This record gives sequence, structure tokens and C-alpha cells, in this order.
Amino acid sequence: MKNRSAIYLDVIGIIGAVLAALVIGIIIIFCVSNEPISAIHAFLVEPLTNAFTLGSVLNRMVPLVFTGLAIVVVFQSGVFSMGAEGQLYIGALTGALAAVYIPGLSPWLHIPLVILCSIVGGGLFGMLPGLLKAYFKADEIVSTLMFNFIAVLFVSYLLNNVFKDASSGGFARTPYIQDSAKLFQIIPGFPTHYGFIIALLAVAVVYLLLYKTRTGYELRLVGKNPLFAQYGGIKTKKVIVLSITISGALAGLGGAVEVMGVHGALKDNFSAGLGFDGIIVSLLARNHPVAVIITAFFYAYLQIGGQTMQANSDVPRDLAIIIQAILVVFVSSQAIFNYLKQRKASRTGGASIAK
Amino acid sequence: MLSSIWEQFINLSLIVIVLRMLPPILLGALGGLMTDRAGVINIGIEGLMLVSAFSSIAIGAWTNNWFLGVVGGTAASMLVSYAMAFFNLKMKVDIIVIGFAVNIFGAGITVLLMSILFGSHGNYIPATPVSIPAIVIPFIDQIPVIGKLLSGHNLMVWISILAVVFCYFIIYHTPYGFHLRATGEEPSAARSLGIRVERIQYSALIWSGFFSGLAGAYLSMGMTSMFVRDMTAGTGFLALAVVIFGNKNPFGILFGSLVFALAQAVTLVIETAPGNAVPSQLIKMVPYTVTIIALVVYALRKRSYKKIRTSA
Repeated sequence: MKNRSAIYLDVIGIIGAVLAALVIGIIIIFCVSNEPISAIHAFLVEPLTNAFTLGSVLNRMVPLVFTGLAIVVVFQSGVFSMGAEGQLYIGALTGALAAVYIPGLSPWLHIPLVILCSIVGGGLFGMLPGLLKAYFKADEIVSTLMFNFIAVLFVSYLLNNVFKDASSGGFARTPYIQDSAKLFQIIPGFPTHYGFIIALLAVAVVYLLLYKTRTGYELRLVGKNPLFAQYGGIKTKKVIVLSITISGALAGLGGAVEVMGVHGALKDNFSAGLGFDGIIVSLLARNHPVAVIITAFFYAYLQIGGQTMQANSDVPRDLAIIIQAILVVFVSSQAIFNYLKQRKASRTGGASIAK
Repeated sequence: MLSSIWEQFINLSLIVIVLRMLPPILLGALGGLMTDRAGVINIGIEGLMLVSAFSSIAIGAWTNNWFLGVVGGTAASMLVSYAMAFFNLKMKVDIIVIGFAVNIFGAGITVLLMSILFGSHGNYIPATPVSIPAIVIPFIDQIPVIGKLLSGHNLMVWISILAVVFCYFIIYHTPYGFHLRATGEEPSAARSLGIRVERIQYSALIWSGFFSGLAGAYLSMGMTSMFVRDMTAGTGFLALAVVIFGNKNPFGILFGSLVFALAQAVTLVIETAPGNAVPSQLIKMVPYTVTIIALVVYALRKRSYKKIRTSA
């Protein structure tokens, strides 16, 4: 277990990293922009000041929470899955099929059914690389990257050839989903939809699963020390398969919620990297499910900020992407954090000797 | 449709397309190979290629010289790979994380620079086209079949094939290559023998920056003559797959790259063939599926090899 002061140092370090990355971003803005002040204002202030952009930030946050949680679960069990992107597509596919082709249900029945379908779809698809890793020792990094391509191409094939809506023209998508499967705005007029609530529930479920159940304990133990876990009688292979299956289910659910809350249909290439964004969200959260809420919000804030900056100034939104990359590197710089901890330790140690 | 593939195969244009598709996959995979042999998995090849693709065409167009473009692009990619090595080895950032960060950094910085320098978000086409030349071999290009097979390919096609021999030589026939392999197989043992493991890993990452840089330069100045945002479109990940597929051996990788390039070429032919019946997505899926199978076969073989070793 981490003690309180270690967590405290971690948080201080992460905030420092965030500030450093933002400062670098601001320096870049000053270098490239003719109107740096209004660019910075549009980037950092505007997303939070008006109801529409704030609602958009919360909406953008929803899929990031799901993919972030998906990565939390695998990373905690020591599995380096990069497969959230593909799992998201498959979950969105199975969810969307249930949402489009089952008419005449009440929303109370239809939405849970869609959620169930997406969980099963994403979970089963996630299970594949898990089985390959556990029973064939196939490296999961490469296999999940390959499964991503397969999933995106498979969904694209289905959208272009099997489930294509005749009225969609040149753009490949399914017919629109039934009204009973739509996730509407929580407060009419404020853009955030009910998927936000589902995302918060998912955080609670993952937290309870990881920290309050036997399965979660086994999962974390396998991540910390697989050999020890195995000697302790934990069936590591089953745990690995289970963790990546849960991860797939979460990512798949995220895909279906995007379909139900934002797009209203399954569209070709609708994700554009949400699964990979989940990796960043999870890394920034130090793989803790509750911290994912904060980091997903921050990440969504950067993305929406980038958009408003591009719309209102001469700085392109890709600056936000660079800040994200720098942030990931800073936050993951173990050397800096170890240095901080050592310095603290040597200081307190020195004090106790002096006494 | 099959007849049109057959036709293209007979008149050799399929082979020409395969060779055109080959360099980015092959060079990227060789970059992945060098780090893989040193025990470092570089998933940032995609980002390195993008950085080079943009900087090479920007510098090439600015100086109006393709060679300076290639040098500049490769240097930019090597610089980023040096930063990767620094953050991985000195700042102790996990190599998967840093590779991942380089991928998003590459996507971001190229579009940012493109929109600042050239005012465009989508693509950049220089006013006077600049490209790596094709090599037309005099006399041989007159011979019917051999001419089409050997002549008229882009210079980078030949460089990439030479690079295979070069990597083979470096890895298996130099002291450096021996150190590289020792570092990858058992770093602690290598260190106890006095091999400077960290320095080897630095150099391996920079090699991978070098090869990814050449691959990127070819993307923007050979295969096409423009830069398009995210134009690597997964080639860097494909390259990782090829490393596995080719059993971490330079010639195996040449074979694997040819298979992947063939799959891409067939996709291209089918997409453009009149009245095609097979959806292109299904064909594009083939190399990825084959890679997963190769991954399993490779892992199984390694396991049985270990069994033999322990029983003996």
C-alpha cells in the first residue's frame, strides 16, 4: 500500500507536470501566434465559461472515462493492451445493432439491452488477445494493435456492404437508432447526455471491483508480481483473460454510449482514436479508476479548448495534441518522481538522525 | 476480377506496385528490428515516420533539393528518437509509454507546423515538386521482362533492400551486433560482461530513428509528392507486425514486408478493378490476421525450443 505522503508527493508531481506542459504550450503559442492573448483565452478559459462548451467538455469526457477505465483494468493487471480502440468499435457495433433493429421496446428495457449487447460484444472481442496471451504467450501489444485494425476494417466492411442506410449517401452509417435507445440531455438545453451518469456508475463499479472484491485483489496482485501471485495459488492465466475481457467490455460500452448519446447511428471511423486517448487518461490517473474522472475531464477540456482556440484564433488545435504528448512523458518520468521521494526520504531521515 | 489481378501479374505491373509499396514497411520494420534486438520495443515508429515525412518534404521544397530533404527528415526523426532514448533511459519513462507519446507528438507537431508554415490543415503540396529520383538503368530498361523488373524503381526501393543486407551484416557480423543481441537477450548478463547496455540501447533507438526517417522521407517524396496529415496510416504498426512475422531476422523481414506489400498492392488493384466483388476491407484484414497467427506460431516455437533446451 502507498502511504499518504507518497500519494501526496505523486499528486504534487503530477500537478507540476501539468503546469510544466501548459507552460510549454503557452510558450509555443507566443512563438507562433500573432494574437497570443486571445488564443490562450480561447484555449484555457472559454471551455469553462459558457454552458455550451462546458456541456461539450462533459460529453467529450464520457467516452474517455470508459476507455480510460478499460485501460486501468488491464494496466493494473500488468497487461499492456492497446486494444481499446478495436473493442470500442465492436461494442459500438453490437450495441448499435440492438439499438437500430429492435423496435417497440420501452427505453427502460431497450437501453439496458443495448448496454448488455455492447458489453458482450466488446468483452468477447477483448477476450481473444487475452486467450492468445495467456495460453500461447503471444505478445499482447502487437496482437491488440492488429485486432484494432481488424475491428475497424470489419465494422467498415459491414457499414459499407451489409447495414448501410440507403439514405446515407456517400457516407457509410447504419440507419438511425430507435428513439427508445437514445440517451437524451440530462437537463434540456444543456448538451450533456445521460451517458455521463452511466460513465460515473462505471467508475464506481470498476472501483468496487478492483479494490473491494477478491477478483480485483487477484487482478492487482498479478499485475504487481505475477510469480508471487502464482505461488500464492492464483490462476494467473484466468486472471489475465478476465482482466482483458472486462477491459473490452468497458471499451465496448463506451462505444455504444457514443452511438446512443452523440451520433444516433453507427458511423464509419467515428472514434478517431478514443481508445488510444484512454491510454493517456489512464496513465495520467496513475491507473486509478476514481482519478480517471479528473483526468478524463482535463483531457476533454484540452481537446475542446483546442477546438475553440482553432475557431477563435490563428493557433491550430493540434497544439493541444502536443501538450498531451509532453504531459504523458512528464507524468510518466519515474526518475523525477523517485528523485522527489528520495529527497523527501533523505530529508526526513536526516532529521531523525539529528534528533 | 481475378482475371484482372492475373493480367496485372503477367504484365508485371503488380510486381512494380509491390516494390513501390515495399520501402516504408521494410525500412520501418528494420528500424523496429534494431530496437527489438536490443530488447527495446519501439512502438513510436509511426510517429518518427510522420516527423520525417513532413520535415523531409518541407526542407526538400525549401532547398529545392531532394537529397537535403532526405537528410533533414532523417535527422529530425533521429533527433526525436534520441529524445525517446533520453526519456526512456535517463528519466525512466516506460518505453511503451514513450513510443505512444511519440506517435501522438508526431501527429500533432506535423500538422501544427504545416498550418503555421503553409497555412493548411490537411495537406501540403510544394509549388515545385521535389522527389527522390527513380533509377533507370540504361540498356537493361530496353530488355522486355528484366527491364521492367529492375529498372525504373525509386532509389529508395534499392536503398531499402540494401538496408536489409546492411542490417544483417551489422547484427550478425560485427562486435557491435553481438553486443546488441546480448543486450536484448539478457541485459544483466551483458552488463556483467562489460557491455555498456545503456549505450547500446541508445544507439538502437537512434538506428530505429534513422530507418524510420528514410521510410518517412519516401512516403512524402517518393511514393507521393506531398505531405498529408497522418499519412503513415498505420504503417509504423504494420512494421512492428513485420518484425514478428519475419522472426526478428533481416531476411525474414524482407520476406514479411513483401507479403504485406503484396496484400496492399492486391487491395489497390481490386479497389480500382471494374466490377470488383470482394470488398477491399476484407482483403486489407488479411495481413493483420496473418500477423496474429505468426505471433502465435512464433511464441509456440519459442516455447518448444525452450522445452528441448531444458530437457537436454
